[in-house]
Amino acid sequence: MSRLTLFYRLILRPLFREPLRTALTVLAVALGVAVVLAIDLAGNAAAGSFRSSIETLMGDSDLEVTATGGLPDAVVGTLATLPYAIRVRPRIQDFVTVVATGQTVPLIAIDLIGESADQQIITVASGEEALKYPGNLDGVWLGSSLNAKAGSTIRLLINDHVRDYTVRGVFDDSAEGGAIVVMDIAVAQNELGRTGRVDSVLLKVPDSPPLAEWQSRLSGALPAGAMVRPVGSRTSENQRMLAAFRWNLRVLSYVALLVGGFLIYNTISVSVVRRRPEIGIVRALGASRRSVLAAFLAEAACFGFAGAVLGCALGRVLATGALKLLSATVQALYVSSRPGAIELTPASLVIALLIGVGMSVIAALPPASEAARVSPMEAMSRGQREYATRVHQGRDMLIALGLAAGGIICAVPPAIAGKPLFGYLSAILLIAASALAIPAVADGLLHTSAHGLQKIIGVEGLLASRSLIGSLRRTSVLVGALSTAIAMMTSVGIMVGSFRQTVTTWMNDQLQADLYLRPAGNPASDQHPTIPNELADQLAKLPGVAGLDRFRAYEFSYEGLPATLGAADFHAVQPFRKSAFLSGRSASDVYSDLQGNDAVVVSEPFAHKHHLRRGDSITLPLGDRRVPFHIVDVSYDYASEAGYVVMDRATLLQYLPDPDPSNLAIYVAPGFDLETVRAEVQKTIAGHDILIFSNRNLRAEAIRIFDRTFVITYALEAISIVVAVMGIAGALLALVVDRRREFGLLRFLGAATSQIRKLILVEAGLIGLLANLVGFVLGLALSFILIYVINKQSFGWTIQFHWPAAILVSSLAGVFLATILAGLYPARIAIRLNPIEVVHEE
Amino acid sequence: MNSATGRVPLTPVGQNHPVASLDRVSKEYRSAGQPVRAVDGVSLEIFPGSFVALVGRSGCGKSTLLNLAGAMDFPTSGEVRLDGVATSSLDDAGLTRLRREKVGFIFQSFQLLPTLSVIENVELPLLLAGAPGAREAAKLRLDWVELESYAARLPHQLSGGQMQRVAIARALVHEPKLLLADEPTGNLDTVTGNLILALLRRIATEQNTAILMATHSSEAAALSDVVVHMRDGRIEQILQH
Repeated sequence: MSRLTLFYRLILRPLFREPLRTALTVLAVALGVAVVLAIDLAGNAAAGSFRSSIETLMGDSDLEVTATGGLPDAVVGTLATLPYAIRVRPRIQDFVTVVATGQTVPLIAIDLIGESADQQIITVASGEEALKYPGNLDGVWLGSSLNAKAGSTIRLLINDHVRDYTVRGVFDDSAEGGAIVVMDIAVAQNELGRTGRVDSVLLKVPDSPPLAEWQSRLSGALPAGAMVRPVGSRTSENQRMLAAFRWNLRVLSYVALLVGGFLIYNTISVSVVRRRPEIGIVRALGASRRSVLAAFLAEAACFGFAGAVLGCALGRVLATGALKLLSATVQALYVSSRPGAIELTPASLVIALLIGVGMSVIAALPPASEAARVSPMEAMSRGQREYATRVHQGRDMLIALGLAAGGIICAVPPAIAGKPLFGYLSAILLIAASALAIPAVADGLLHTSAHGLQKIIGVEGLLASRSLIGSLRRTSVLVGALSTAIAMMTSVGIMVGSFRQTVTTWMNDQLQADLYLRPAGNPASDQHPTIPNELADQLAKLPGVAGLDRFRAYEFSYEGLPATLGAADFHAVQPFRKSAFLSGRSASDVYSDLQGNDAVVVSEPFAHKHHLRRGDSITLPLGDRRVPFHIVDVSYDYASEAGYVVMDRATLLQYLPDPDPSNLAIYVAPGFDLETVRAEVQKTIAGHDILIFSNRNLRAEAIRIFDRTFVITYALEAISIVVAVMGIAGALLALVVDRRREFGLLRFLGAATSQIRKLILVEAGLIGLLANLVGFVLGLALSFILIYVINKQSFGWTIQFHWPAAILVSSLAGVFLATILAGLYPARIAIRLNPIEVVHEE
Repeated sequence: MNSATGRVPLTPVGQNHPVASLDRVSKEYRSAGQPVRAVDGVSLEIFPGSFVALVGRSGCGKSTLLNLAGAMDFPTSGEVRLDGVATSSLDDAGLTRLRREKVGFIFQSFQLLPTLSVIENVELPLLLAGAPGAREAAKLRLDWVELESYAARLPHQLSGGQMQRVAIARALVHEPKLLLADEPTGNLDTVTGNLILALLRRIATEQNTAILMATHSSEAAALSDVVVHMRDGRIEQILQH
């Protein structure tokens, strides 16, 4: 108890005397914890939504049978007639758009006749009365969240056509994570143009033998192309597919926490410096080194705990915004998803508290250990202390060089289990190297520039640079915190800017057509609604249409990961398309190899994920067959992280004879007016709900989606910067308190209040400038790691390096300005000090 | 003459215009909610070249009087004039200008900026005032206090006496008319203290600078032209040597 009292009197009570600075430190930790928590919660919610949208109506099934392009109806019959006591439930699943609201919702088609006695289905579709009457099957059952009433009609867009459907019943979908439309499977086959096929068959098998044995038995009884997997495999695949995305986002979210760590280090350092006499006294009165260490670590733990508690509340709020951004990205780049509920579990809270307290205690260890080493008789002056710091610069610089060399070496090894662990280590080593090099760099730069600054800015420039040198440790920590945030901003800015430029260049090659058509409805990377092939035929014959590319896409699973199988009409578009390939071969050579052969081109991310190269062979499940294909080349592709496998349309139709394309690309013949052709196309597709995009519109849309994808990245960076700038403000406040005598003396020596203000703002500006400089150099190094190591090993994309100069300059200038603004309040405090009081206090 | 409230001219022979004049000056503070009169109705005139020592116990108002005379503070009542300018007629910027031009300060604990070299400390008042030729003037002053070879050193590399000499050089660099010294020998041994006092004596004599020095030291007081004894904020006795 007496120790607690002493801890309160000597450590905690002084914090309340500087409430603003204490609040800023707590808030810095809170933001760091909040960001980590928010990304985790939002990631869980976004990933959790697969379960609700895709596994809905799985019931108590054990296994799922699927095939690329769907399973023939006959497979259902085969399964039903096997001599096993298994329950067979065919399914079609797709997406429909509610025309009135524009909302895209999953469509689940079930065999209402076959399953009408199934309690599971009846529970879900509580419009069960209708199920008793086969005549009523031609309609839909809606989740209650769609707010429709039984007996009413609802207008739905399916593929390219809109129709009114009678609402046969409404069921409670609160447990399903969002709205669902249920339809009879026969009706869905007709509406979706999948006559004779189902997407999957769910199986309930007896408990014995084990599931793996059933999987093997049933696979043997089915066509080669059919895959028998445990229910939920698709969710697992999606989770795996998203793993790299979530992992990298999580790592990025720790940057704000790292910056917060720097600030805790600074806060405890200030605390140790200020309390040096007290440390000496309590040590002389019998306190052990361990007690001193514990006291300062406990101070840090208090900051960490308070920050973490606030961070939990803040994180929950931030998670809502993060989830919106994450869901949009997942939808655009990965798989259709609906945001699940954000669940702030006790486990999440405990982890957040541990992170906040743990990070704070670890950050406080060096200054706290230093405090513990102070002998009672030791009474070094501040000048001597700082001199001691300075003489370590050479040693620290050598260590920094060693760490930097280690960072470069770590950039070489490959990923471990798909994770660029050495890449992260490389980044960490470079950040550590930069932190250790800062005292020498700051000292050197400030020394050499002091008189230059005096000439440019005035005496305040000299005083500010000398003052920063005089408190080099504090300066270094602040520059370290801000430069880390700036480095992340710079590196991610360069990476995203390079990626954007690469995608733009790629689109310039890839998107050569003049008009693009796709069924209306919300776009998603794994939804491929179709356009009738007859309509495509009509469009191909229009005057002015030089070429028509019919692209068909299917989702499929390859070695446990989802991907997209595509087919393009290479014969029709060979003169127009200009894809780029890793081999450097011309597009026409590659297209020639594709035609008439069981050959494919795989995209770079797909090749990366499955370790494939040009010349390899790949066996694809197509309908009821498994077909070996020769990989003729690997294409640069930035449309999907899951990856593409593309073959010639004629080849695909041999195995999946569904001619309806998912997208159309129209090449306008030379000499024809684009708008005239567009008007003709518009006239031809009248009655179909199809969207037409001009080349420019499509690119703009692609870039819009690209930019939206990185909004969350920018948000994370911005928070890191805010944390760092708050730290600067807090540190400047501490500086004003610690140097009050100096400011008072300057007033005695004839300094005007405006000069005191200017002095503090110049110091803030110099910290900002140093941080910008160090942060930019570190950021440049990190951008190479991000582009050529972390991105490449995580996603497989080749990104060409590009300077997003305008964004970089404006961001760095913005941070610099924010740093100066952070000095305004401390400057105000400084000019209000009474010089007589502060100069004479001892 | 002995007066606590009346006019006390300290006029050396041949000097007509005081550098600083305090006319019935009082200064009141509030401490724990209660008014405390630190200086109570003091009148003084200090002329160029005069060396005036303020003596008295701690808390008798010496430092407050120095601050009032140096335009660092406004009196609660009465008038302070520096080189003929009433401080109460000036705003903060005006006071700052007045200090820059007319006043130099020396402190007990030297108050050198630890991060600036010796020469940079000395030239600081001129730099703050934006005056030209700061470096040359600082060199001259350092030469005068015989520390020109220490110009590039940092304060913590000097002895106490050297630091105080640097502080004196700094206080004189802008050629003030009034030098205010608050216990300038308080942190020095006797020998070094005497050297500093001799230096101050020279300043008054050779440069015609008025010096107002607060001190506990009888040796210090003995070197001055006039000793003003203070007690409870008032002038108790004035002795002219």
